[in-house]
Order: sequence, then structure tokens, then C-alpha cells
Amino acid sequence: MAGVQVGKRIIGADAPVTVGWENIDRVQGGPLKQAFFTYFQPVVLFALIAFWYNAPNEWALASVGIWIGLGFKVLLLALEWVNPRYRSWQLTWKEFATDLFYVGLGYTALRMISGYFGDDVMIEAIRGAMDWDKFTWFIGLPLLVQAILISMIFDFGQYWMHRGMHNWYPLWLTHAPHHYITQLNINKGAVGNPIELFLIGLGIGGFFDFLPRAFLIAGAFGMAVGTYQHINVRFNTPRWWRFIFNTTEHHSVHHAQDYEATRSNYSGTWILWDRLFGTCVDGEAELLGMEGGRRMDIGETMVFPFTQAWKDMKARREQRQGLGGASAPQLEPAE
Amino acid sequence: MTRLRVPYVEKIWRIEDSLVVEVPLTPDEAFARLDPLFQTDGTRYAIEGDTLGYLKTNPRAQDKLATFTSGTLRVEPAQGATRLTYQAASTALLLCFLAPLLFLFFAQVMEAANQWERAKAEASETAKKNKPDEAKDKPLPKLHPIDVMLGAPAPKDPKADKDKQKEPKEKFKTTPAYALAGLFFVLFLVGRVLEPWLLKRTFRQALTRPHGEAAMVDGGSDDPDPARAAPA
Repeated sequence: MAGVQVGKRIIGADAPVTVGWENIDRVQGGPLKQAFFTYFQPVVLFALIAFWYNAPNEWALASVGIWIGLGFKVLLLALEWVNPRYRSWQLTWKEFATDLFYVGLGYTALRMISGYFGDDVMIEAIRGAMDWDKFTWFIGLPLLVQAILISMIFDFGQYWMHRGMHNWYPLWLTHAPHHYITQLNINKGAVGNPIELFLIGLGIGGFFDFLPRAFLIAGAFGMAVGTYQHINVRFNTPRWWRFIFNTTEHHSVHHAQDYEATRSNYSGTWILWDRLFGTCVDGEAELLGMEGGRRMDIGETMVFPFTQAWKDMKARREQRQGLGGASAPQLEPAE
Repeated sequence: MTRLRVPYVEKIWRIEDSLVVEVPLTPDEAFARLDPLFQTDGTRYAIEGDTLGYLKTNPRAQDKLATFTSGTLRVEPAQGATRLTYQAASTALLLCFLAPLLFLFFAQVMEAANQWERAKAEASETAKKNKPDEAKDKPLPKLHPIDVMLGAPAPKDPKADKDKQKEPKEKFKTTPAYALAGLFFVLFLVGRVLEPWLLKRTFRQALTRPHGEAAMVDGGSDDPDPARAAPA
């Protein structure tokens, strides 16, 4: 497979990846369907921003945001049936049940762990130890600017944590199970080893003081942009949108079976970070996953960082002792 | 190998059913038509006369038999037609049935953590009272003039909120854990009805289509369009 040169890299040499927006399929169907799947994403984002900007204080609550988020997910699940990107990513009962299990872990076990060891706890400890107050630099800025800053600061942290996971072996061990997903569906973002999900959720936003309403508007970016990372819906994403924001197309490249493609598009919401740091690849992929698309079950996902570390350590020891373990493949070599 | 049978409990994860197709097929012909269902990753199968046994280890997401990972199929003639009798077992259905217990357990752990937090908070109540109230010293945050002009509601006074708050806030909300337990129970019921129906449909479609087309039954091929290969 020849692949396509993107910067200094060859994308698609190991497995098929479509590179370039001009090569990506468009929504098929009548003008109404075309219009719906062209304007859906921006309309939802602007509507959410407008809602949180103007909602009375009694409505501007995190709990309302959670209910809107749940309703939005149900709507997106319906869209997966109406206009799937690929039939080979169709959601099955078993896939839905599996994904829901990971979502459930996020709402329960992970929430408890984060409650005692998460970024809020760490930041409080640091602030207490240093006798720091919160940085209030942004609180006087317009709400939308504050919201964009919150979203971009969080995404900046996610970008480097995610990039670190692809380049530093101990972090990669925690992140690798997420790369065994073989299709993108609405809850696939939750699929992975809990250690990774804990790490990727860490942020530095707790050091800054913002207006609560700005947090809700920032949440709208996460919901109406970040959610599309893992979804099986074909959109005619507007040019300006895909320049600024992460899309399903970008994230499918990141999950491709092609090794070099996986080392791109690390951001969660703002693809601008990838453009800035030279890791953006505009394109899409259908064949996803590690080891040629082997699906990892829940049991293996839970223990993978430990079992794989043990296997690798054993292989290295055998290699050092000349016992023939030299050919054991490294899961993902470092940069 | 003898297997322990628990007749009623087994219905959680096992199914037994049969179907008749109006085409007279020998066992070899029938299994040839069903063969694409077993030519998938992680599948082992064996045929002995009129019986086929299969076992799938972590099948692909789009595998037609992904939910029922083991089973036996028997083909027999039925008055000018063919009867397929089958038994299949699903680890996924069993785990889905058990999942509510896990989330109920999480809910109990959260309740315990909340109780512990409440006790801790009560113990430190007096210590807090002696501390100066930070909220009192903080000036009320103001909106930027642009936001005022655009009509965004002014921020709430946190001190006013503080007076209203009488119920202590729980550290962990248990509602999601209980909701998930219920959701998994509903999902199990849906799966227990839907998945056997889909399995029967898959077998029927495979048997009634000429050999070679069975892989395409309901939902297309697992292979992507070769036209999507990377452009040179």
C-alpha cells in the first residue's frame, strides 16, 4: 500500500486511510436530508450557546446540562440509524450493552475515584500547600471568551496527555485498550481502561476562576463538538467547522488500523491544537483498531495495562538473556 | 463432556429453537450455506454427520453470531423441507443480566462513602465555624459590559444561595448507579427477545439463499468498500 505523504509522514501505508477532504464521501439523499446533515452540527452548537447565555439562573444548572446531554445522545443514536457513515460500524445490541457498561463505570466507580484523587482534589491540595487563591484573570472577560478559554485550556491539557499516551510506554499501556475499538458509535468515547479514563479527565481548569455560566457554555462546546469524535453518522461538515473543530473524520483517522495515522489528531474538541503542533491529518478511515481490528473484550480491557507490561517485561528479560524472545513485537514503538 | 443443566435458570443465557425452510437440503448442503457464518475470526467449528458445533472467542462486532458465542445446530429432513434445530449460549446475555447487581453494589459503596463524608463534615463543623467566611469577603462577580448589553442574566449571589442551602450536599449522587441498574435490566429483556429473533432470521436467510450469498445476509458485508483504499 503506497499511502499518502502528509508533511514528513506517510499515512495509509499499513491500512486504508482516505486523506484530503475532497476524497471524503458526502451525504446521499434529497435536498432536505442534505440540508439537515449539513447544518445540524452548527445549529445545535449555536442553539446551545444561546440557551446557556440567556437561560435564567434557575435553569443555568449543571443538572439541566446533564439532562440536555442525555437527550442529545438519544437523538444522536437515532441519527446513527437514519444516516450511518458506514454500515460496518452499525450499532448492535452487544456493542451497545458493552459501551453502556463503560459509560456506567464513568458515572459510578470512576466518579468515586475522581472524587478522592481527581484533579479538583489535587488542585485544592496544591493551592492549599502554596496558599494560592484561584487565578481570577478571566472573570471580568465576556462570557463567550471565558467559555472558549475554559474549553481550550481543558482541551490543551487533553491534547498533551493524549499525545503523551501515544509516546510514553507506561501511559500507552493504559490508552491502548481504547484503540481496540473497531467502530465508532456514540458511547465509544467511554470505552477503555479506567486508569486511562481517569488520566484523560485530568485538567488544570481548577486553578482558574470563571463565572459558572461560562462553564456551562464551555460544556456546550464539549457536547456539541467533542461528542462527534465517536459517532457513526455521515455529516457534510462545513469547511470552517472542520478547520477549527475536531470531527468524526479526524478521529476515525486517529483510530485507523494504519499505525502512522493513529499518531495524529490528538485533540478532543479543538483540532486547532493539532494544526498548531503539526499533528493534524484531514481525512477519514473505515478500518479501525489494533492488531488488524481485533476486538478487545471487557475483561482484557480491565487488566491489559498490567498483563501487557508483564508480557513486555518478560520478553525484554528473555531478549537480554538470549532466550529467543527477540522477535516479540512491541505494541507501539516510541517516537 | 457432561454439562450441568439448570433448566429454568439457563434460559437467561441459552436458547433452543428450530426453524423449517421449504427447501429440501442434505446436512452437507445446509452447512455449506451456513458456512460463511463460521468463516470469521476467532471461530472454531466441527461437523459430525447432521450436527455442527461452534465456538466463537471474542468475535468481531459485526459478526452475525457475536451475541451467541457457542452452540450446536442439527439439520434433519421434514416432509420435503428442512428443519434446523439449534441451541446456543450467550455470555453477553448472562453478563447483561448480572450487570444490575454490579451497579447496585456501586450505589451501596457510594451510600457508604456519603455517610462517611457526612460524619466527617459534622465532626469538622465546629472547626469551620471558627474560620472566617471566604464568601463574605469576596466581591460579587460582575458581568462584562458586553454581556450586560446583550442581556445575559447577572450571576447569582453565592451568599444568598448559602442561606437557602439547608440540606447537606451529597458527595456522590447514587441516582446514576440505580438508573444504570434499571437500564441494564431493560437492556437484558430487550436482548433476550431481540437477539434470538435476529439469530433465527440470520439462519433462515442463510439457508434460503443460494450458496455463496449467505455472508451478505442482513446488513451487508463486514469488509469495507475496496474503493476506499488510500489514494496513491
